[in-house]
Amino acid sequence: MNYKKKPFSLSFGIMVVCFMLVLAGCSANAASENNAAAANNAATASENANKKLTMAYTWNPAGVDPHGDDSWDVMRSGAGETLIKLNEQLQPAAWLAKEWKQEDANTWTLKLENNVTFHDGKKMDAESVKASLLRSIANSHLAKDLLLVKDIEVLAPDELKIITTQPNSAIISSLADPSTIILDVDSMKEAGSYPAMTGAFKIKQFTKDVSLVVERYDGYWGQPAKLKEVTMKFVTDGNTRLMALQAGEVDVATDIPIDSIELVEKDSKLEVLSAPSVRTHMVLFNMNSALFKEKANREVVDQAIPREAIIESVMRGYGTKAKSPFPEILPFGKVAEQAAGETTEQLLTAGGWQKNAAGMWEKEGKPFEATLLTFPHRPELSVMAEVIQNQLLNEGITVKIRKVENIDAELAKSDWDLAMYSMLTAHTGDPQYFLNIFYQSASESNVSHYVSKPLETVINKLNDTPATEARNALAIQAQDIINEDLPQSFIVHPDNVFGVRKGGNGLCSASDRILLCDS
Amino acid sequence: MLRFWLERVAQMLLVIFCVATLTFILMRVSPGDPARILLTTHNIPASQEAIDALREEMGLTDSLWSQYIRWLGDVFTWQWGTSYMSKEPVAGELLKRLPATLELASAGALVMLLATCLIGLVTAIFSTGLLDRMGRLMALLGASIPSFWLGFLLIYFFSVRLGWLPSMGRGGLAHLLMPAVTLGLGLGAVYARVLRTNMLEMNNQNFVKASRARGLSKGRILIFQVFKHAFLPILSMLGTSFAFMLGGNVIVETIFSWPGVGKYIIEAITARDYPVIQGYVVFTSFLFVAIHLAVEVFYVRLDPRLRAS
Repeated sequence: MNYKKKPFSLSFGIMVVCFMLVLAGCSANAASENNAAAANNAATASENANKKLTMAYTWNPAGVDPHGDDSWDVMRSGAGETLIKLNEQLQPAAWLAKEWKQEDANTWTLKLENNVTFHDGKKMDAESVKASLLRSIANSHLAKDLLLVKDIEVLAPDELKIITTQPNSAIISSLADPSTIILDVDSMKEAGSYPAMTGAFKIKQFTKDVSLVVERYDGYWGQPAKLKEVTMKFVTDGNTRLMALQAGEVDVATDIPIDSIELVEKDSKLEVLSAPSVRTHMVLFNMNSALFKEKANREVVDQAIPREAIIESVMRGYGTKAKSPFPEILPFGKVAEQAAGETTEQLLTAGGWQKNAAGMWEKEGKPFEATLLTFPHRPELSVMAEVIQNQLLNEGITVKIRKVENIDAELAKSDWDLAMYSMLTAHTGDPQYFLNIFYQSASESNVSHYVSKPLETVINKLNDTPATEARNALAIQAQDIINEDLPQSFIVHPDNVFGVRKGGNGLCSASDRILLCDS
Repeated sequence: MLRFWLERVAQMLLVIFCVATLTFILMRVSPGDPARILLTTHNIPASQEAIDALREEMGLTDSLWSQYIRWLGDVFTWQWGTSYMSKEPVAGELLKRLPATLELASAGALVMLLATCLIGLVTAIFSTGLLDRMGRLMALLGASIPSFWLGFLLIYFFSVRLGWLPSMGRGGLAHLLMPAVTLGLGLGAVYARVLRTNMLEMNNQNFVKASRARGLSKGRILIFQVFKHAFLPILSMLGTSFAFMLGGNVIVETIFSWPGVGKYIIEAITARDYPVIQGYVVFTSFLFVAIHLAVEVFYVRLDPRLRAS
């Protein structure tokens, strides 16, 4: 077995898919790309055929119904598949739907794979896919919001027509969201039964608070999974996951706490695998606060954030510098970096601020003093808050850090100036959903209370534009407006960090994904 | 006797009513919108329409008064509402996790009892020697070491370094050992100190002197007279601690990934799952009242003086 220790470059979306590929030992499409290599490693593959993998998994799903709050967990288990998936460039690619076509602004037709069977042995056809999509829309608010479906028609046993309530150019990317996983609706009628989906693995056992066990589905329509069984143990505490990995009780531990990565790196039996994510850590400005209504004051804070130092020291190198809400791995994430503007001194002096005897900025006798909120669920954000506090103190600005238990509840109030925040910005590989929810002035999720008519015009135009190139250009234009107005300062796109055991588990990092080493 | 039981049942109902009301009020004044939290579990922003629809689905748009009446109805019909997270009845959800917590609490209580009795007896017998000083040190450590630290320390030595015990999860005796020690040892060491002091005080009582004068053996006096009397005050402390353990130990269950009530409740608090939190508080208040009642009955059986009164 040949292990590479180099971190690989990949987005979170792909990471999710890769999670499945890890479990599946590559799905059909990926496998077909690697047929030659796989053939050369037949012996090792047969060795893997009976292998079982145990994983310490961060989340604790309440169930295995993919059309609810636990869709991501089901997707990561390798049991569920969607009509569309995101490829390595985070663009929509065929999965259960082999091709698709836009008929008019509100109508899309999708051609389905013919040889797919559900885990209960039933054949997947257009009727069953329609029933599954309608169920996901009925049960999942996210699916409803993403798809905006008015009607679904069956055109042929392998062909569907989706009609939307309004032009929805992001519908194909949205069909890659786990909340739209395709299942046999009949399998959900019996209480306590497991959903029959189409993935390379089927659910063997789900025990609340304990684990989800999936086993190879022999009737899989693509290349069968190479692992026989995978156990996802639900271990919500990061240190416990790490210790289980160190003790050899699990082969993989997801989301290793940043401050413990060194322990994994130093352990000769373990290695770190990481991939860039589409998560963004940021500082929110309260645009209604007296201080940060002024753009110059936002610029002062933005300039003071030592992004490289934060990545190096707080993130231990496992992250990339953020220039916008979307990371550069996305086709619409490549925005130009803002040129260095005026200095802090120039910005504040122009705004009527002056330094007092103690070297602190003040205006009309009132010091430049801001409240920065942070919360405990992402410990690295609190450390970043301290770094920013210290940096601003050096500039002559006082920042009071207030740790709150529930950040969203506090943001709904008005008594804050700055807040640490973290969001998944492009979970479907498309910018439309995030831009609409986070920046439209009427949205309650617009936590910075940022209102920009030019931005809303661009977002509305994006909503109506079907062509990918044009959509990407509009997304970049939207980010340019955001970066110009600075309602947030984007700090870092953190990597997803896994700890894995060397040898035995058959996992290794390749240039673009986590794979079984023989594939 | 009938009056005794009727009084206790009335007290229990009153306590549950007060706790249910107080919990309802506290939940509603605490910050956090359950609908928003649930929809943004994976840090994906949610639309206003989705949040509003879910609020309505959860019954959060009803008046506070009707929410309260519905809640009281749920409490006294022993349903405790439906969990926002799992969409299943809270009573069932708690009962599913109770065996795991009961197992851990019983094992923890056993460790606590053994530590109390062993350390207490030994340090009382050798009350001026090295063993006593070691007992004092253990009590100090037991009181000052946080359980999360002790838990991680045990995992590090016995799982990571030595590989003797599993670091997490529920299974056989091997899985139970470290969580039980983490849960019971510290309290046991502290109670041992109380037991030692009680035993030394008893040693000077007239009935003990009389027994010595009658020529009873040292061992018999120690176990059947000194220990028996010194242990009585400890009993109510052990009962209270056991009730705490039965309520689920959040820290120990989280560290050892033990699928009990404590781990469940911490996730419910994070998600602002009101019905679960409210149900849990009623459940633990019921447990406390029931265990106190059991201790009271047991106490009366052990101490003939109380029986007469």
